[in-house]
Amino acid sequence: MTPILTIKNLTKTFGASAVLRGVDLEVFPRDVISIIGASGSGKTTLLRCIDLLEEFDSGEIRLDGEILGYRDKGGRHRRLPGRELARQRARMGMVFQSYNLFPHLTAAQNIMLGLRKVRGMATAEARAVAEGWLDRVGLADRRDHHPSALSGGQQQRVAIARALAMEPRLVLLDEVTSALDPELVQEVLLTIRGLAEAGTTMLIVTHEMRFARQVSTRVVFMDGGAVREQGPPNEIFGNPKAQRLRDFLANVSH
Amino acid sequence: MEKFLTVLDSASDALTSGFLITAFVSAAAVLCGAILGVVFGLALTYGGRLASLPFRIVVDVVRGTPVLVLILATYYMPSGIGFSPGPITAGLVALTVFCAAHVGETLRGALRAIPSAQTDAASAIGLTFGQTLSYVLMPQAIRQIAPNFVNTAVEIVKASSLLSAIGVGELLLTTQEVIGRSYLTMEFYALCGLLYLLLNLGIGAGGWWLERRFRIQ
Repeated sequence: MTPILTIKNLTKTFGASAVLRGVDLEVFPRDVISIIGASGSGKTTLLRCIDLLEEFDSGEIRLDGEILGYRDKGGRHRRLPGRELARQRARMGMVFQSYNLFPHLTAAQNIMLGLRKVRGMATAEARAVAEGWLDRVGLADRRDHHPSALSGGQQQRVAIARALAMEPRLVLLDEVTSALDPELVQEVLLTIRGLAEAGTTMLIVTHEMRFARQVSTRVVFMDGGAVREQGPPNEIFGNPKAQRLRDFLANVSH
Repeated sequence: MEKFLTVLDSASDALTSGFLITAFVSAAAVLCGAILGVVFGLALTYGGRLASLPFRIVVDVVRGTPVLVLILATYYMPSGIGFSPGPITAGLVALTVFCAAHVGETLRGALRAIPSAQTDAASAIGLTFGQTLSYVLMPQAIRQIAPNFVNTAVEIVKASSLLSAIGVGELLLTTQEVIGRSYLTMEFYALCGLLYLLLNLGIGAGGWWLERRFRIQ
């Protein structure tokens, strides 16, 4: 099977501190990969590099074989122009910790914007697709509400629908329940579980260990800016090998 | 009172024309100033240090100079290089640049205040920078600066009275001419003030209506 996403030896520094020190990862179709690890281990930075929201220093990311973000020109590694970056980003979806819905647009309009401007759909078609997705995340009756009139959990489900409606090759979810009140976490996790069962390829940065164990096909443990250990959830949680992973799991309840 | 009505009757054409020139010059300056102000705001926000520098200088000079000085300079200074604009052209240019400087500066503040997470989210669905600006950032920034813009428009209407100093036959100059002939100082300054007030109350009401119309509930 050919991977959707291949990451080779990815490095990134913020000023003097190295955040990513050589990340290698392959993502295959229908993979649901949970990325776990302590704060500062580089999980979020990794997702932002993949979605080209962050520049990286060296290494390579390929999506369906195409190198993302950079091209070699005259032996130099050059960042692609904005238009090319936008085209590549459109093939991936990203859901953020703080939802990041557009406050001046209704739930349906939030989803329709990318469909119309990026995928070139007519308004009526975009509306139909948006309403279909809002229905799927259980918010059909909230489509004309602005984000400020929605709960955190509802906003996050709109954000998930906004990402999925673009039919991305893979979806990146960055601690999507961390900003939610505890009673709202379940509705979002249930939505993600539904996507996993439908075969959506996902990379999920999460602190919800129980959820990672239940929903993932593979769990990746990041430590010190690199992938320290990865495997099926039962292996990672039931039989962790690296000492750092054992220490980490001992410190989080799961 | 009877004399006032007689004079008013004979001066009504001149006063109407003065009022219309005030309204026209103000509307044109606000409209052109808003468009130019968007250019200023974008250049100040995204221009980088070098490209934004000329805009920064214009904005700081305009905001730190009395409007009357700006008007006189625009009218008299070009003749030094052998080019003399008419009073209406010069006045219009001065008020437009005054408006653009204020709009540009407030727009810069509003764009800077939008969290970068909004740009991230727009990028993530594949919008280009231009699309992000048009559909995500500007709609939010414009709602933010709307009340300030109404204030600027009112300032422009008031500042247009300074064009009387370079001989533009707008409302104030026309009023002064009527007073010069009739000596009805109190009555006609009161009428003049009332007309400015009506114009500005109209702008305020229009702004209030727009704000309600586009408010995010």
